[in-house]
Amino acid sequence: MTTVAATSHPVPAHHDDRSFIRKYVFSTDHKIIGIQFLFVSLFFLLVGGLLAMQMRWQLAFPGKPMPGGGVLPETMAPGGVILPEYYIQLVTMHGTFMVFFAIMPLLVGVYANFLIPLKIGTHDMAFPRINMWSFWSFFAAGFVMLSSLFVPDGAARAGWTMYAPLSARHDYSGASLGQELWSVSIILVGLSSILGSLNYITTIINNRAPGMTWFRMPLSVWSLFITAILGLLALPVLSGAAIMLLFDQIIGTHFFDPAAGGQALLWQHLFWFFGHPEVYILILPAMGMVSDIIANGSRKPIFGYHSMVFAIVAIAFLGWIVWGHHMFVSGMNPTLGSSFMVSTLVIAVPSAVKTFNWMGTMWRGNLKFTVPMLNAIAFVAMFVIGGLSGIFMAATPVDMFIHDTYFIVAHLHYVLFGGSLFALFAAIPYWYPKMFGRLMHEGWGKVHFWLTFLFYNLTFFPMHILGMGGHMRRIYDPTQYDFLKPYQPMNEFISISAFLLFATQIIFFVNFWWSLKKGKPAGLNPWQDNGLEWTLPSPAPHGNWERVPTVYRGPYEFSSPQVPEDYLPQTRKLPGDREPAAVSAAH
Amino acid sequence: MTHAAATVDQMRPPYPAERGLDVYNTKLGMWVFLASEVMFFAALIGTYIILRFGAPGEWARPGIVLNIKITAFNTFLLICSSVSMVKAYAAIQDGDPKKMRFWLLLTILGGATFVGIQVYEYIHLIEHGFVPSGVREGSELAELVAKGTLPAATMGLYGSTFFTMTGFHGFHVTCGVISMTYLYLTKALPGKYTKQSYGGIETVGLYWHFVDLVWIILFTIVYLI
Amino acid sequence: METAHKRPNYILIWVYLAVLTAAELGLAFELPISRNWKLILLLFLAVWKAALVGLFFMHLKFERWNLRIMAVIPLPLAVIFILAGMSEHIW
Repeated sequence: MTTVAATSHPVPAHHDDRSFIRKYVFSTDHKIIGIQFLFVSLFFLLVGGLLAMQMRWQLAFPGKPMPGGGVLPETMAPGGVILPEYYIQLVTMHGTFMVFFAIMPLLVGVYANFLIPLKIGTHDMAFPRINMWSFWSFFAAGFVMLSSLFVPDGAARAGWTMYAPLSARHDYSGASLGQELWSVSIILVGLSSILGSLNYITTIINNRAPGMTWFRMPLSVWSLFITAILGLLALPVLSGAAIMLLFDQIIGTHFFDPAAGGQALLWQHLFWFFGHPEVYILILPAMGMVSDIIANGSRKPIFGYHSMVFAIVAIAFLGWIVWGHHMFVSGMNPTLGSSFMVSTLVIAVPSAVKTFNWMGTMWRGNLKFTVPMLNAIAFVAMFVIGGLSGIFMAATPVDMFIHDTYFIVAHLHYVLFGGSLFALFAAIPYWYPKMFGRLMHEGWGKVHFWLTFLFYNLTFFPMHILGMGGHMRRIYDPTQYDFLKPYQPMNEFISISAFLLFATQIIFFVNFWWSLKKGKPAGLNPWQDNGLEWTLPSPAPHGNWERVPTVYRGPYEFSSPQVPEDYLPQTRKLPGDREPAAVSAAH
Repeated sequence: MTHAAATVDQMRPPYPAERGLDVYNTKLGMWVFLASEVMFFAALIGTYIILRFGAPGEWARPGIVLNIKITAFNTFLLICSSVSMVKAYAAIQDGDPKKMRFWLLLTILGGATFVGIQVYEYIHLIEHGFVPSGVREGSELAELVAKGTLPAATMGLYGSTFFTMTGFHGFHVTCGVISMTYLYLTKALPGKYTKQSYGGIETVGLYWHFVDLVWIILFTIVYLI
Repeated sequence: METAHKRPNYILIWVYLAVLTAAELGLAFELPISRNWKLILLLFLAVWKAALVGLFFMHLKFERWNLRIMAVIPLPLAVIFILAGMSEHIW
């Protein structure tokens, strides 16, 4: 009744006669879409960084003219001196760009798109045209958000969390069009994310190659799958909230305006009900890819594969019932607050399981300290620090003191930069050969890693101390308070470290662009990895395989006694291997 | 009558794959999409419930602002169009494209009429002074507020939630009507749906039933409570 | 795939839906019972109608258990959110 394409030699596709526009611009090929996301998101990462640099200037040298500040309009920074109205835009837009237009698309838009069909053994996503729309709505969203920086009254300015009614009423915030464009952009970004999730979920459920059972999928794919489910269910709530905010802004509704019966806390509940699953969207793919890279770099199977999967599922499950920990000081129902404290403390457990498993993987492994491996190990260490600071704030009484201080800023940057961004610094060079056919320069990659690691910690670790001292977030001029004056040298230190950190990224960007043309040509499998994508040429061809491959084992068979090499690809058939059970196919 | 596995397998991609959920891609994709739509309407409807529950005063009694009779008819119409949709699906499963086209056309007409009646209702409400921000000054409804028949404190919330929920539902119905019309013209009329391949009908049917389901909830909690 | 099953009587379901709708209207406007009871009963009737559409028109009654789970997973999340939001007004 059914047929199986039993091929132990994956045959790559080789016929592609599309026009330039169809091939590279309006492409439905998941790999091209992934690369499109990569270029656009890296641009927005740069934008987010530039905004942060301006913030750090103001914090270190309040009221002093910024070098290069002359290009800014007089209404924002007369004579290069950043005004408070401009500063709060910087704060808001830095967060917005980094979360929605840099980290999320880099992790999900790039790697879900690029990796999923390759790693599960299929030709493309289930809905290639919808995939294309997912990219272009993201692009439109980014364009709208960027344009909001240039409108007359300036950009949105209620923090990236856009609390209402400050964000809802022009007479409260001082911004009109900029706020509205933020709402429109977020609605578009939500749409992009939902369309993407829809594709990833359907493809992973229905289009796995024969033999690619659920528990033979790499952890990168598992994490992208669970992330897609989180995104599917959380982003619509954000879109709904953004729509209601937009309506409050432009058609006079009163959802969030207490003066007219609306509820300010309703915005917070809506936003954080989305917002907490969102932070797991920002970390789970990173964890998944790091798992793949660490197993590869240790030449050992991942320690506790099944518990890793269950930990991902547990984090995703619990992630829905912890959102109130962002609202401990909001005046919310205290009993509700206590329940959130308990669930937040519990969610630390599965993350700890994963951390021990990464360490277990590396223990007595044949460690290869390549650039991806270095960044992946740094991920584990930095994520632990970020997670530990999270325990502090999970306890409501402690959070009363540290909420909205730099302690929180330290925490979020340890998990988002120390975590997600280091994971990206691991993932980008790791899958670069499969994307572009060349390797990034290893030596400069190591220089970039060590300098980034150094300046990153010098920038963000002191923020824990600032926060404990009471230094609040989003503040324009810390020196206005006597009790903060002693911390001003620390602010200067942080800012200078931040400038050096930003400058260091030039190495990464130059390496990235230079290697596109001048990098060492990569063979099929430069990392000697087991995943299906490494059986294809670098870069992978349109359509991936001529015939879908057959899978005989899991992805982490490193140092297997069955073969002399220290890796054993998933598609390689050994004499003792059985063909997969009969699978469905059209007839 | 049984629904053979063979017809469904025809709609799976032609290359071999793991079994998955035994549901072809378009149908699975629609269910996944509908899960996101549930969350979207949950945000809007949840907002309505939370705002109303915590409202600083009484809520307007049912039937005073909104026209129950017309909307009850509209609800019945949408339910009928849901029935005609599933009859279209049953028809193509039996291999009768002519009957399928008939029922699909009825569904499209039912959906379009629903939207038409909603638009009429909106115009009517706005003329009488009911707008998203509440009650327009100097309008008929403003007089009712002044008289005390309608509570001043919550009319703003009433307007905000009513227009947002029913507006987005109407938008979804419109998208459904457009999709069904597109499929009717490009696939149903030229006879592209057969007993072996009718995925589009089933998939758009799922969307249409969902839109009906949301309306069933909305009608009750917005118009009757 | 759907399990092999007898096709539901769609017209009969339509009749049920019509009757339940009429019951809702009668309940909302004719019956002289307290508002709280009306609320509970109306919600019950609405959910019953929604279930009929979901189970029979969307064929959930005949689909595999994992598809059914996928269809209903958003509901507990929605309930949690709504209850949390409402709890702000009871203390």
